[in-house]
Amino acid sequence: MNPTDRRTFLQHTAGTMAAISLLPALESMAAIQLEGPLRIAVVGTGRQGRAILAELQKFNGLEIVALCDSDESRLRSGLRRAQGAEGFATHAELLEKAPDLAAVFVATPTHLHRRIAEDCLAAGKHVYCEAPLAASVDDCQAIVRAARDTDTVFQTGLQSRSNPIYQLARTFVRTDAVRDLVSLRAQYHRKTTWRTPAPDPSQEQARNWRLNPDVSIGLAGEFGTHQFDAVNWFVNDYPVEVRGAGSIRLHNDGRKIADTVQCTLSYNKGLQLQYEATIANSFQGRFELFCGSMAAVKLSWTAGWMFKEADAPTQGWEVYAMRERFHSDDGITLIADATQLAAQGKLKEGIGLPNPPLYYAIEDFLRSVTQGKPVVCTAEEGLRAAVIGILANQAVITGDTITIDRSLFKAE
Amino acid sequence: MIVRLATHAMRTRFELVLAGEDEVHLRAVGEAAIDEIQECDRRLSLFRTDSLLSHINAHAASEWVRLDEDTFELFSTCQRVHAESGSAFDVTVAPLMQAWGFHGERGDTTAAREAVGMEAVLLDNDRCAIRFARDDIRIDMGAVGKGHALDLAGTVLRDHTVTCALLHGGTSTILAIGAPPGESGWRASVGRDDGGPVAVLRDEALSVSGSHGRVIETDGKRIGHVLDPRNGEPADGAALAAVIAPSAGLADAWSTALLVLADAQPAAHVGLTAIVTSGSRPPDSRLAAGPRRDQFEFQTTLAATRNKETA
Repeated sequence: MNPTDRRTFLQHTAGTMAAISLLPALESMAAIQLEGPLRIAVVGTGRQGRAILAELQKFNGLEIVALCDSDESRLRSGLRRAQGAEGFATHAELLEKAPDLAAVFVATPTHLHRRIAEDCLAAGKHVYCEAPLAASVDDCQAIVRAARDTDTVFQTGLQSRSNPIYQLARTFVRTDAVRDLVSLRAQYHRKTTWRTPAPDPSQEQARNWRLNPDVSIGLAGEFGTHQFDAVNWFVNDYPVEVRGAGSIRLHNDGRKIADTVQCTLSYNKGLQLQYEATIANSFQGRFELFCGSMAAVKLSWTAGWMFKEADAPTQGWEVYAMRERFHSDDGITLIADATQLAAQGKLKEGIGLPNPPLYYAIEDFLRSVTQGKPVVCTAEEGLRAAVIGILANQAVITGDTITIDRSLFKAE
Repeated sequence: MIVRLATHAMRTRFELVLAGEDEVHLRAVGEAAIDEIQECDRRLSLFRTDSLLSHINAHAASEWVRLDEDTFELFSTCQRVHAESGSAFDVTVAPLMQAWGFHGERGDTTAAREAVGMEAVLLDNDRCAIRFARDDIRIDMGAVGKGHALDLAGTVLRDHTVTCALLHGGTSTILAIGAPPGESGWRASVGRDDGGPVAVLRDEALSVSGSHGRVIETDGKRIGHVLDPRNGEPADGAALAAVIAPSAGLADAWSTALLVLADAQPAAHVGLTAIVTSGSRPPDSRLAAGPRRDQFEFQTTLAATRNKETA
């Protein structure tokens, strides 16, 4: 098929493709039925650990039997969200004393993931590990090796891959609706000091690991890793180099970690991702923007829109579409299950996911554990995303352009 | 050193004023408290499809839904106030709010009234879980959400040794921690008029419900957002109800109940201090009820005091 024929073919089929692409979401929306009880533990009961606990409570057939945190007040806070669970100060104690544990969720500070993940895998547990996978390339590679050496499931917590809105949007970017990608943009904006208070001064440093240059991978690593992964997944490629800059724009409190960073990630054939993260301003929050020659797709975690060019062909499914006005642009709201909801006259009710994206990532993990479904985000994919985040942080610190060495993606 | 922080949540603006010595510490603690408010919004919002409340409303009629301890305790408080207020407070008013047009298009208010009933909300203490006995039950936590969020934020502040702070959600619910230096408590005006009473708060909460709050116009009439769950009609017997309670969630629940009842005595019977005004005359101390009525300072009293001091 020559290029013209291919384009004509895609133009004719894009409408059908879009409609079909809405259907797979139906399966993921159906509640998983666990035969259970599946015995679960969560290591790390800070903010993310508690969010995991809240979502785990929604699944029938699993039992949260153990929680672990070296910080006593956090452990207490976690235990208020998991009635009947036993608390432990160390993961070693948890693995030794919590019987018949099937799976462990790791939600500790990033630089502590490796040892816990390795020990849980060695003990034969299924592991869901939060992203970034680790704070150094060595640690990421070690986790990949440990996951490879066991028969248990290992899922990296890069949630975009399980998010129904991102899954739906990817079909538009991967088919001809967006056409040739011309630019990529992403940002993470939030106004916060990124400081965590400690009830006791002795815990101050441990709680504020994000501000410790010895272990932190900065905004580019902690936030960027998730967004770089979403972009890489959408474009089906990885950047070849990254350059960065960063500075302290607001939080002049003695910290060394930049509160505002910009990165440019270059892909093959000249495509570039412009990335900005700041904790000094919250305007427009988090988003990823994919601009193509026929449409732009904007994703903001729990919502997504497509903005069509005037010369883009009209698709049959657009009669169903809900639209939102953004200044001078009309955005078509991307709704998972849109075809079915439109048929039921309930399209408006479909705006907004019934659960947070974290729920779907956990659900995917449980499907892999109980039904043998392929892992949606493997340790290897977690390694690749983390390597790019870690190198982007290095580029921010040094101001250099850093080549992304593909050999780092391997864990021999 | 005073640190102010603010956030938008629950369709209103929350503000925190913290006093202390270490600005960096105060700001970090304040942000942790704001995180609690945001998390509470994510759990209890009726308008977020992915909230825990939406999950409860969608599933509790067919299965027990497990809760965290904080949310379970909140539902227990709601049940208790429902019983103590003679059903004047009821979080199952969501169908009524919808039918009256507060959440979009109007619907059948008669049918919606039949769907209201806290008795059909079952709580299992052992399982820390909730279930509905009927499939038409829908919960709206709008009457207690702000107070609950402030209580959780207040716990964070106290856990991190903040001893002097004032928190409010939309200015209608206030939580006071300690008192400003040299003062007996934080002073908060009740009502929109300059002549309204002033509440003096120290380690307690104040909630004010008023018929002047969120209103909609229907059939040429302006109606307030507080509905009487017993008859399905807008509560119009009182202009304002204010309650001082140990927690903001409790104050919120009771101020809603008292606006419906147009009477302060039921709150006084459970040991709370309250005032209910009808709007037909300036509020004075005779409208206050409860064990610590002197916590409300009235303009007439203040004027008399000032006159006495001048003399």
